[in-house]
Amino acid sequence: MIEILLIVCAPLIGGLIYGLERKMRARMQNRQGPPLLQPFYDMWKLIDKQAFIINPYHTILGMMHFISLWMVVAFIILGENLLYVIFLHLLSSIFLILAGFSVKSIYSHIGSNRELLAILAYEPILIMLGVGFFILNGSFDISVIRENSPALASLFLLFLAFLMLIPIKLKKSPFDASEAHQEIVGGVEIEFSGVFFEFLYMAKWLEYIFIYLLLMLFAGDNILLGTGLFAIVFFLVNLVDNATARIKMSHLLKIVLGIGLTLGMCNLIGLSYV
Amino acid sequence: MFNLKKYRKKSPWILHYNAGSCNGCDIEILASLAPKYDLERFGVVNTGNPKQSDIFLVTGPVTLRSRERLVELYMQMPEPKVVVAVGSCSCTGGVFRDMYNVEDGVDRYIPVDVYIPGCAVSPELIIDGLVQGLEILEQKTKEMEKPLKLFKESTCEEGIVNRRDTALKVGKIDEKN
Repeated sequence: MIEILLIVCAPLIGGLIYGLERKMRARMQNRQGPPLLQPFYDMWKLIDKQAFIINPYHTILGMMHFISLWMVVAFIILGENLLYVIFLHLLSSIFLILAGFSVKSIYSHIGSNRELLAILAYEPILIMLGVGFFILNGSFDISVIRENSPALASLFLLFLAFLMLIPIKLKKSPFDASEAHQEIVGGVEIEFSGVFFEFLYMAKWLEYIFIYLLLMLFAGDNILLGTGLFAIVFFLVNLVDNATARIKMSHLLKIVLGIGLTLGMCNLIGLSYV
Repeated sequence: MFNLKKYRKKSPWILHYNAGSCNGCDIEILASLAPKYDLERFGVVNTGNPKQSDIFLVTGPVTLRSRERLVELYMQMPEPKVVVAVGSCSCTGGVFRDMYNVEDGVDRYIPVDVYIPGCAVSPELIIDGLVQGLEILEQKTKEMEKPLKLFKESTCEEGIVNRRDTALKVGKIDEKN
């Protein structure tokens, strides 16, 4: 029962996290910042706006991105197969990329290209994460992972690699070249407007839920450790976001594939042979 | 039941366009978005994307080169939208008025709702103008909901049918009569 309630409320919780993050980023820059419920005000305004439909596939693919992402979050909450969750998440990203390529805007195409490159960078780490949990627990099931003791110590290098993945997925500096506001005007989301942009906006909130739920898997059955991890990583990601500048896509690939892949491989080899 | 409609004006996303400005006003706009004046506390986000923005901030006298893009950006913004002319140049043409390469202000091409004077404008004035723009945005949102209604017959003069002013928004009919 509580799972169903969590699944239904997932976008709302994500919106609250997003509002908290905007507030926190503002406080870090010594500003007052928007109110906590600002994301919901944005949603309320977008309902009233006129919406342009570029072509039907574009809008439908945007909605599919949101729905499949919601399914991913639901599967994590219900404790399904981790590998299945990772590949379903890949599918939801593919929907967004197809939506970006279905319009004529050159910025949309650049955004889709960069999104593909970002997937190339972070997907191996996600899969290695699944493999690491499998070696440790003997199962890909998230419900089994949640029942075992914390995996943070034995998967510490993979945890570090996962920390590099968070800014890419949440579109934060220094790894936000795939969205890049003002430079390529938001990339794939440029042609969405009005009600249809809301689905993308809510998908952004669900991305927060997805990433932080994956993060909490490191804590296993220790809920206190999970909450602590969430708080520390949330603070750290925003600190790095405020303190660094955007880097190029090629540098992103080099850094994330070079350091992240090495860290993950070391951890996996260590787990199998030591 | 609390009124949800008052929350509509709490999230204005702005689009900033430089129509041949000297960058004085642009710097002031950026200053008002920066920590000291902090426009984000009203929910303002500088989107840079016309399809998702509500308030159009234009700086500079409209030069011949920039006028096409100005009109195109205005057309790409979805309703309801508010245009704010920032600085003396975009209000009247300023010191560039009547020059051969300048079109004397934004309102020669697109309807302007709020004029912010000053060369360069101070951030306080920009904040004041934007907050006034929010009131207009709320009014326009309400106007969009009102239906149009035919209230008089079209006239026919010398074989040319004139349908001007036959249809008006419902609230306006009472004002006219």
